[in-house]
Amino acid sequence: MSTFDRIAAKVRAGTRLDAEDALALFHEPDVLRVGALANEVRERLHGDRTYFNRNLRIEVTNVCVASCLFCSFAKLEADAPGASTMSLEEAWRELETRMAEPPSEVHIVNGLHPGLPFTYYEELLRGFKRIKPDIHLKCFTAVEIHFFAAHYGMTYLEVLTKLRAAGLDSLPGGGAEIFHPEVRSRISHDKATADEYLEVHRVAHAMGMPTNSTMLYGHIETFDHRVDHLMRLRALQDETGGMQAFIPLAFHPDGNGMKHLPAPTAIDDLRTIAVSRLVLDNVPHIKAYWVSLTPDVAQVALRFGADDIDGTIVHETIYAAAGSRSPSGLSYEELVRLIREAGRTPIERDTLYNVVREHSKSAVPEASLKVRDRRTQRRLEVVS
Amino acid sequence: MTIERQKLRVAAVGYLNARPLTFGLDREPRVTVEQALPSEVARRIAEDEADVALMPIAAAATIGDLRLVRECAIGARGHVRSVVLASERPLEELEEIALDLSSRTSVALARLIVRRLRGGKEPRWVGRPAAKAIESIGERRGAVVIGDPALTIEGKYRYVVDLAEAWREWTSLPFVFAAWCGREGGLDADDERLLLDAKHRGLEHRDLIADEHAARTGLDATSLRAYLREAIRYELGDEERQGLVRFYDEAARAGILPKVESVRFYDDDRRAPAPRVSIDGLLSRAADGERLSAADGERLLAEGKLFDLGLAADAVRRRKHPNDVVTYIVDRNVNYTNVCITSCRFCAFYRPVGHAEGYVLSREVLTQKLSEVVAAGGVQILLQGGLNPDLRIEWYEDLFRWIKSTFGLGLHALSPEEILFLARLEDLSVRRVLERLHEAGLDSVPGGGAEILVDHVRRKIAKAKCTSEEWLEVMRVAHQMGLRSSCTMMYGTVDVARDRVNHLVKLRDLQDETRGFTAFFCWDFQYEQGTHITPGETGTHLYLRQQAVARLMLDNVDHVGASWVTQGPDVGQIALRFGADDFGSVMFEENVVSSAGTTFCTNAQGMEARIRAAGFKAVRRNVRYDWLGEPG
Repeated sequence: MSTFDRIAAKVRAGTRLDAEDALALFHEPDVLRVGALANEVRERLHGDRTYFNRNLRIEVTNVCVASCLFCSFAKLEADAPGASTMSLEEAWRELETRMAEPPSEVHIVNGLHPGLPFTYYEELLRGFKRIKPDIHLKCFTAVEIHFFAAHYGMTYLEVLTKLRAAGLDSLPGGGAEIFHPEVRSRISHDKATADEYLEVHRVAHAMGMPTNSTMLYGHIETFDHRVDHLMRLRALQDETGGMQAFIPLAFHPDGNGMKHLPAPTAIDDLRTIAVSRLVLDNVPHIKAYWVSLTPDVAQVALRFGADDIDGTIVHETIYAAAGSRSPSGLSYEELVRLIREAGRTPIERDTLYNVVREHSKSAVPEASLKVRDRRTQRRLEVVS
Repeated sequence: MTIERQKLRVAAVGYLNARPLTFGLDREPRVTVEQALPSEVARRIAEDEADVALMPIAAAATIGDLRLVRECAIGARGHVRSVVLASERPLEELEEIALDLSSRTSVALARLIVRRLRGGKEPRWVGRPAAKAIESIGERRGAVVIGDPALTIEGKYRYVVDLAEAWREWTSLPFVFAAWCGREGGLDADDERLLLDAKHRGLEHRDLIADEHAARTGLDATSLRAYLREAIRYELGDEERQGLVRFYDEAARAGILPKVESVRFYDDDRRAPAPRVSIDGLLSRAADGERLSAADGERLLAEGKLFDLGLAADAVRRRKHPNDVVTYIVDRNVNYTNVCITSCRFCAFYRPVGHAEGYVLSREVLTQKLSEVVAAGGVQILLQGGLNPDLRIEWYEDLFRWIKSTFGLGLHALSPEEILFLARLEDLSVRRVLERLHEAGLDSVPGGGAEILVDHVRRKIAKAKCTSEEWLEVMRVAHQMGLRSSCTMMYGTVDVARDRVNHLVKLRDLQDETRGFTAFFCWDFQYEQGTHITPGETGTHLYLRQQAVARLMLDNVDHVGASWVTQGPDVGQIALRFGADDFGSVMFEENVVSSAGTTFCTNAQGMEARIRAAGFKAVRRNVRYDWLGEPG
């Protein structure tokens, strides 16, 4: 029995894969076989159901004390060219102006700004809840929480308790990068360590606050490092069960400290999604983050293990700064179409994966859909 | 209350032996009858322009999943007289056999019989029109002659193999050449009765039909009467069905026709639903190199799972190219003019004659562009443009000679549309235009402008463009002259799965004839501002499925290329695992003139990196798909 067949048998029997298996899957030459196996698991867990939401992505500041090699977004100084920090009013306006078709979630990720008072963040959250009391606030990565704790002299629990009192509902998964110190010390040496990242999530889960998790792949790390990363996340999830979704993030090289590296290719993207689905047997959802993958590849990833494609986003700036070919936002109709074209059932969810609206699987007549222009992502009205 | 149904659209071959089956049908008020050549009759069924057709049974196998009308057929139980292999020497001594390739049933039968009688030793088969085929008989050259010409040459050649008789001797079964065929559910019992009534009338009037034909052709009336009364048999019962099943099995085993699961009559469906082969069964057949019917392809598109299609297409790719090498070419797409008279609804590139933005590239601009290609190690250019009435054939001849003598680049130039336009403009035949261009340096013909080779689709998206048959004919002539070409498909406008599959079958049919296609590329319609058509079925998912199904259907085309130019390099790379063995061309970015060399280097390296990251070795090729180095 070949290694792959042995792994496939384990998967079908519901036996957990070990690190060696995970590594073998990364090295399996035929990516379609890995994808097909991940698709079996995905369909066992979710059938054709494929999740997306109406979310609004806001980056309130790109000023950041950390100097991560992979980042094209952060500006080290508040007065550096291109550095910007929104006033509270500016940040709130982002939501206010979209109340005609309101998002169900505001997703905030920021730089580690050394000059803002902690109350800025508390006020920020309160303001969003004032505008829309039932908005779900998924804000601040574990790296930011760690920074707040260090910078403002609090424990993780204190930071999270205060922010929750101000309206925080859950944590996004950013900042995980690659946990292994061989890599982390080189690409992001001056922010939360792997243990600190995981500890923030542990504390949040203990408070009953769900989180997501990520992995930034395709730069200087090896497959061993990726496997190590997945194993650490799986161990935490065994402990707490608080992780909702895992989101592999593809490294994009433009304008950052690793611009000499090629970006991971689409085959690597699909393989990473698939191996994640197979290894993280205790994480409910694997997300094909379309901003990172481009909508086209994300669509294919819905057959390689992913059951979520993220949301409308509206205005993403982090990947955009790194030269992503993706548009900065997709319309609700575009997301529905993207999912349907993959032969899946679009399910609009809220942040906690409650169903908001279940769409039919079969595509409605093409003529009644707004269709997307693949190249410019401009929305088109069908004439006929 | 009865609902008045639309008229029954009947298509039938117009040959003498078919007339007893269609006799008086045209006088039925609820029927329209059109007579046409066998390939055209089959096309009408394939493209749903007829409900029932009296058509060759080989074409029925190619379309697939059709139903037959019981009791009506054109067949023989032995000596048929009108399908013969004539020669001056015994069959086993022949080196070449000419035949009319448009008669696919007879071609298939001839190949099976000859293979059997010669113990597997195949002669060289050459496609020729009937008159030319007869002319070519001599020495070690024979010809398969069909229809009236066969009756005309009776007794003229020393050796004649009557193919139906040979079939009878081999299998002890009748042979069926043509039958009434239609789609499942396409006919009801009343329709069938109509056809049966026509047959009964026709059989009673066989002598009249024979006499009329004799008067028109000068053939002997007595001989024709005997032909219709004795040689041709019009039954289609269980014994004929056995003959048909046997023929289909033999032809599928020989790789000549798609496997026919079961020969079904319309009345069978009224008793029990048709058995269907599983998708897995279809895929493993295709992966093993067996031929798929259009209906098989349609089912794969509708029901095949993405991975199953991908893995089967990958298996075919591996069988055809066991070395795990993916090729690419370095070239440049030079659009010599944007002036065009066609105004296709999907095109944002063209400008009408006299428009201020219209251009024809000058020799200076061309020199710059072509020098860059040479400097970067490019070996050819792709030269295409609009249909510009100011550019005469001499302009192209001069241009080609100049490019050849100055730059020595391969010329992959002028799509069929442009060749047809030149032929009309100069009042020359397509063959003559191609000959002149070939002499001036044309190396190969790009397969662009095929879009969907189904006319009801073409009329909607490119009314002014050539018909499917014209496009195919240009390629046929080019291939006959030894020019190779690629072939393409642009889908995702008004087409549906059936149109796309029919397109693939047309390419495959021509490839059977000429073997001139090097590679197939497909892409979905790329919407741009300024075009007047909205996208239909598109998406990456469909692209991968479509390419995989194309790899499975086009069993006689060597290469399938991933169209990264339209799908983007990411999806292009994924497509390499869905049956492609070529990554198309690394092209210079247009309008990046000064730094074009650098742009190319990055592109070629990035291209090779993507190929390797997908698990293949990469190597550059030329337009004939020869490797230009060692894969690595």
